[in-house]
This record gives sequence, C-alpha cells and structure tokens, in this order.
Amino acid sequence: MNRVFTPVGMPTAVFSPVLRAVSLMIMLMMLAWPASMVRADARIDAANAVISAMVSDMDSYLATDAGDASARLTTVTRMLDTYFDLPTIARFSVGPYWRAASSEERQTYNETLRLAMIGTVVNNFDQLKGLTFTPTDSVPKGDNMVLVRGHFSDKSGQRSPVMVGWRVITPDEGTAKVLDVEIENISMLVTQQQENLAIIRQNKGRFGALIEAMKAKQTTK
Amino acid sequence: MPCPQRQFTSTSIKALLGNGLLCLFLVACSAPPDSAQTDSRDPYESTNRQVFRFNMAVDSAAVEPVANAYRHSMPEAGKTAIENHLDWTGLPATTMNSVLQGRFENAGLSVLHFAINGLTLGLAELTEDPREVKPQDFGQTLAAYDVPQGDYLMVPLFGPNTSRSLTGRVVDAVTNPLSLVKAGGTATAVRSLQPPARVVVVRARQFEAINDVKYNAADPYARTRSLYFQGRAGRINARVGQPTANRTSDDLFESFFEAEK
Repeated sequence: MNRVFTPVGMPTAVFSPVLRAVSLMIMLMMLAWPASMVRADARIDAANAVISAMVSDMDSYLATDAGDASARLTTVTRMLDTYFDLPTIARFSVGPYWRAASSEERQTYNETLRLAMIGTVVNNFDQLKGLTFTPTDSVPKGDNMVLVRGHFSDKSGQRSPVMVGWRVITPDEGTAKVLDVEIENISMLVTQQQENLAIIRQNKGRFGALIEAMKAKQTTK
Repeated sequence: MPCPQRQFTSTSIKALLGNGLLCLFLVACSAPPDSAQTDSRDPYESTNRQVFRFNMAVDSAAVEPVANAYRHSMPEAGKTAIENHLDWTGLPATTMNSVLQGRFENAGLSVLHFAINGLTLGLAELTEDPREVKPQDFGQTLAAYDVPQGDYLMVPLFGPNTSRSLTGRVVDAVTNPLSLVKAGGTATAVRSLQPPARVVVVRARQFEAINDVKYNAADPYARTRSLYFQGRAGRINARVGQPTANRTSDDLFESFFEAEK
C-alpha cells in the first residue's frame, strides 16, 4: 500500500487531525495579532492624549493662578468633569454595594463623591504648584485600561520626585477618561473603595450610612 | 569573668523590653477574632480600632505638635543632618536583609554608603546618590521566602503592621549591629534618642498626608489600613523587580470590569 507523506515525512494519518488544527490556530493568531497590536497602540495613544491634555490644561491654569478660591473651584470642577470618568469611579468605589443601593441613593452618592473629590483637590491645590510631570511609559491593563506612568518633580528641587500612574479607561467607542491615580504605587480609588466598604460593613451593609458619613465630613471641613 | 548579659548595651536591652511589650500586645491580640470585621485581613479589628484611637490621641498630644515645630523651626541643614543620620543607622539592617534576599548589589552599596558616611556618623551625605540604596527590612526578607503576611495588627505607638512585618521589626531591632556596639554615655544617649527622633522625622516628612487621613477621612482607620497594605505591597513587589506594578489594584479593576460585563 502506498502511503502519502507530508513534506516533513509524517504520515498524513497523524498530520491531519492534530497538526492541521494547530496550523489553523497559528494562522488565526497571525491574523489576529497585528490587529490587537494596532488596537493596543491606539488605546495607548488615546490614554497618553488625555493625560497630556489634562496636564497641559492644569499647567495653563497654574501659570495664571492668583490664589482665588472660587476660580480654583471652577477650574477643578471643570477638569474633573472633563477628564475623569466620574460614574465609573462612583460604581467602583462602593464595590458590590452599588447594586444594593436605590437609584436615589446612587444619585446622592455620585454627587457627594464628586464634591468630596473636588474638595480634596481644591484643599491641596497649593501642593500642585511648581510641579512638572514627566511621562515614562504607558502599559495596557487588560482590555479596558491603560496605565500611563511618570513622575512629578519639583522645579525648585525641594521635594523628592513622586511616581504617579494614571489609569485611563480606553473604550472602543467614546472618549478615554481617567479612572484612578496611583501615587507611589498607592491607588487613590482602591483606598477610597476600601474605606467605603469598611463604613458600609460597620453599618451592617446600609448604603445610606456611607453617604451620611461623607456628608458629615464635608460639613465639618 | 564578665557576665554574658553585659555584652548587651542598655539600648539593646531597651529594644528587647520594647519587643517584649509588643509580644504582650500580640498575646492580647490572640483573643478570638471579633465579629465587627470589615476586612478579611483584619480579624482583630475591634482591638485594632481601639489601639488606633490611642495612637491618634498620642499623635494629637505630642507627635503632631513636635513634628510641626520641627518642620518650621529646625533649619534645613539641621533637618538634613538628622535625616541623613537616621537613614545611615538603618544601613546595617539593609545590608543584612539584602544578603538574605540575595540582593548582593544592594548589600554592597549599603556597606559602601555606611562606611563612607560613617566618617561623619551619617550626618553628612558624602555619597553621590543616597537613593540608590533600597532600604530593606526583615519583613521584606520573610516575604522573599514566601512567609505569609499574617494578620493586620495596629500596634501601640508603632502603628500599622502585619504579624510578618512586626516580626521583621523585632528581628531588625534585636540584630542591629549598632545596638550591640559598646559606647560611652553620649553615644548611648544619642542612640536612645533615635527612635523618638525617627517618629518625629517620619511624621514631619508625611505631615500633610497623615493629617489628610486623620482629619479628612470618613473612616481614618480603614483608610490607614488600605494605605498600609498597598504601600507595603509596593515595597515588597519592588523587591522582586516589579517597579510600579500594583497587583492588588490590577486584580480589583480586572474583577470590576468582569462583573460589569
């Protein structure tokens, strides 16, 4: 009986089922690989662009900042609304309790959190002066995010450089927005989430207790 | 013939006494875990929260005002000298732990920095870049050998720890070669001032950040715990050459997006 051999000398009986499937997989991967790379590059570009725009926006304001509290408040509010994905931040920051919250509680929480974030930036605004951001690299994180890394250095040299990472959501459609800021490897959003979860759990899972605690803190400031 | 105990200086005896107090605290923490737990890593949360309140009271009464005065009254040159000296005293522990972790380059650098800056007892920084030595403690060494981090413990006056990092602190204090060196009265006095000075310097360096947690957080205890775990994980990850990989965050965000699908 004549046996048909493949170019590598393997009987077709063995080649057919196993190697054909592997070859097909490799071909598919080769087709998909450049596309995924292009997509990753596009996501990185989008993330870099949003961080660059935000830093430049802040630099422009700081160049003319005269210390006016209401002007600072207006600027910080506009920047948070423009560059940050506040709805996703709100959902992430309460973890599984988001689903348990009523729509009214969600709305109140969104607004309370937004005010808390604005207040934090405005209260620490002076610390932003004299800083320069230098990007170092950008790394895709899963299918949804890019981490843009860099460091802030003090132009006067009095403060040590600080490592910063911006987690940017990069949707297939729509605008890239910032989800989180990591300072020296510490995520601000994860910190907020863990604090929020502790408050809710201490109050036997009552979502409203978190809103009350946050509002109480805002009124004492 | 001298008694063997005389080999230890009074500083090392104080360190041992201090560590004994820590052990007593650990015994106190060995009570059954409480039900008011809000984080799986913190089974003694009720006790820890009480200790945290005590620490905050001490901070308000003593540490914060002293650190504030240090920030505003101490000349920059004085601050630099004190901070250099404190960093210098930590170098022997860094050397020992770097060797144990197989980080021989860091060990070599720390020996070099210790020897050169030792000419001024560490008061002046004579080396080119002090940041090239990465401080290492025994807690990090234990992590390098995959010892589990254990439970979260808020220790009176010492602040947040895990049982692994607390063990590391005890070992670092007991084995610090500087505490075993015999010295005269002045040197002993300087040594006994080092721990409180370190507290003040750390508080002053992180003044705004700590005050932000203390006065602005809705739950300062929970925020401190989160910051501690993330900061510690960052230091341990950096040990294995993952400079800015916050794996905790990566996992949490990954799960979040999975759940949102």
